[in-house]
Amino acid sequence: MTRWTWLSYAYAAAVVFAIGYCLIDVPVQVSDSYGNLVQATGGTFGSVVASQFHARAFLRPFLWAHIRVVYDLSGGHYFEWFRGWHVGQVAVLVLLFLRLLRPRRLVDAAAVPIGLAALIGMHTFAGTVREAFPINAYMTILICCFLAADLALGAPRWWRDVAAAALFVFAVLSVESGLLVAVVLVAAFAAGARGVSSRGVAAIVALVAGYFLLRFVILDVGTPALSERSSGFGFSTREPDALIAMFGGSAIPFYAYNVLSSLLTVLLSEPRGGVWVATRDLVHGELSFMPLLNLTASALAMVTLAIHLWRRRGEWWGRRFDRGDQLLIVFAAVLVANSVISYAYTKDVILSPAGAFFGCALAVAVAGLLETTQTATARRLVAAGLLLVALSTTWGMRAVSAHVGLRRSAAATRNEWAIVDEWLEREHLVPSTALAAHLKRELHDQAITKHPARPALTASWVERLSDD
Amino acid sequence: MTNPRPSMVAVMAAALPAAIATLAVVVFAVFELFGHTLFSQGPDRNLAEAAAMGRLSEVVRLLAAGEDPNQIVTVRPHVISSSVTRVTALEASVWHRSVAQMALFDRAGSVTSPATRQHLMCLAADLRVDEIVHYYAAGQPPDCVPEQALTMIVARSQQPTGGAR
Repeated sequence: MTRWTWLSYAYAAAVVFAIGYCLIDVPVQVSDSYGNLVQATGGTFGSVVASQFHARAFLRPFLWAHIRVVYDLSGGHYFEWFRGWHVGQVAVLVLLFLRLLRPRRLVDAAAVPIGLAALIGMHTFAGTVREAFPINAYMTILICCFLAADLALGAPRWWRDVAAAALFVFAVLSVESGLLVAVVLVAAFAAGARGVSSRGVAAIVALVAGYFLLRFVILDVGTPALSERSSGFGFSTREPDALIAMFGGSAIPFYAYNVLSSLLTVLLSEPRGGVWVATRDLVHGELSFMPLLNLTASALAMVTLAIHLWRRRGEWWGRRFDRGDQLLIVFAAVLVANSVISYAYTKDVILSPAGAFFGCALAVAVAGLLETTQTATARRLVAAGLLLVALSTTWGMRAVSAHVGLRRSAAATRNEWAIVDEWLEREHLVPSTALAAHLKRELHDQAITKHPARPALTASWVERLSDD
Repeated sequence: MTNPRPSMVAVMAAALPAAIATLAVVVFAVFELFGHTLFSQGPDRNLAEAAAMGRLSEVVRLLAAGEDPNQIVTVRPHVISSSVTRVTALEASVWHRSVAQMALFDRAGSVTSPATRQHLMCLAADLRVDEIVHYYAAGQPPDCVPEQALTMIVARSQQPTGGAR
């Protein structure tokens, strides 16, 4: 540990405080959370988890176990426990982010603010904090993916193999994108990381095969059909009927579109959920501030990454990968795999693992660019300085936008609780048991009365920085 | 691995803008923890302000706390306009132009008389909020003197408050 390491951790603590302060204000949601809580409490722990092995389309027993454990621990203080748990998860994620970057030199520490701004400010991250079910499964997967990378990039130890296998099983039975844990481990191994041994990686590959066997042959869980969800295509979101009409004959072009959209959204912040929002607004002459900011920040990041890759081309050609290179390779592998598993349905938050590793990759590239400034000519130094200040400013603003988004989510969620009875009637979810009615009353009181809304932000720039 | 000594200008260019953004959020949070919310007009001072701003959760909270939605109170000029500062919460709610919020007041039993209903409908007509006019008119054409409801509220706002809330 050097003084730059300590400084980086101190800065990370400030980042966690800032995001935690906004996140702790978001009540447990009505939609996606209340119904799940009722279901998770409708039986014993064992019966709730066991029933999930026989669910249709989704296989997520450990997510339900996770919800039930926090519910039981809360002792009725749902708001504090579920949101406190969420803040704790963000703290762990940021801690792991720093462990991966391992900032020991000035250049590493100087890259940490941009890296963390990209982690928090990336549009794919928003869904991991603004939503909850009431445990955010995507946030859980981000932690699992970072933990997998941390295991793989460490010194070889037998227990890392065991931990990697356990981590994969937990992740993949929490939500489907847990499969990315295996991608992280295999990619890191391919890049020369030996924290998890060849036997450990082989075991992971066997577990992946076992997961598919369990899901599709033994349990016959299946996957969600094309007809279940609306999805973005071109300049708008299409309803399932429209999608079937467009692609009913062969869904392959639609799947290819989703994979390509997923790749591009991480790299360029466009399209969003399959919809080319910024392009559409530009065509209509209505491009607003946030899409422009997002595109600019992403374009600058791509330039920085390209410079770094060009500078490292010799080492890559000779397969002499350092830790930074290994992180870049893991990012590339997760980006491709994450995009492929989004083939049926693309949504920003599903790409959150790729988005999180993008933050790591950007920090590596920035540190690499800073290294070159020691010997750079005056002209190159000015160019690098301008690029870095623009990059840092745009990503810093995106990070502030993420906090604004949380503030708005907190207000919107509270307003949902204000008219919860109408919503439950409309959705045919009126509580039918005493426990469900009690839970609704408690959650309502905790959202409205015990933790009242914070004052609305009325400055005009707040509206401009909203990326909803 | 070498220990490079990069240009400090480049280091600052990379680190400072993003760090300042984080620092700004931290400062904002600390100020709010001490009771002062930057970039805001502060908490809603009464039910009418919450209704005019469409803060449903605050409307529900303040109604539960016993605030009277039919009482005329003072709202700050930024809430509706500098010429409309003395309103009831029900009147203020029309300015938010949300049927959902009017329905919330209805369910809470706040619209206590046909005269209040008529007044709110006419105010909605003056403000050209057709959804709320239809909500109260229930299929009947509104029977209102144009601009009367609005003029009355503006005139009321110009009178001395005499120490009212």
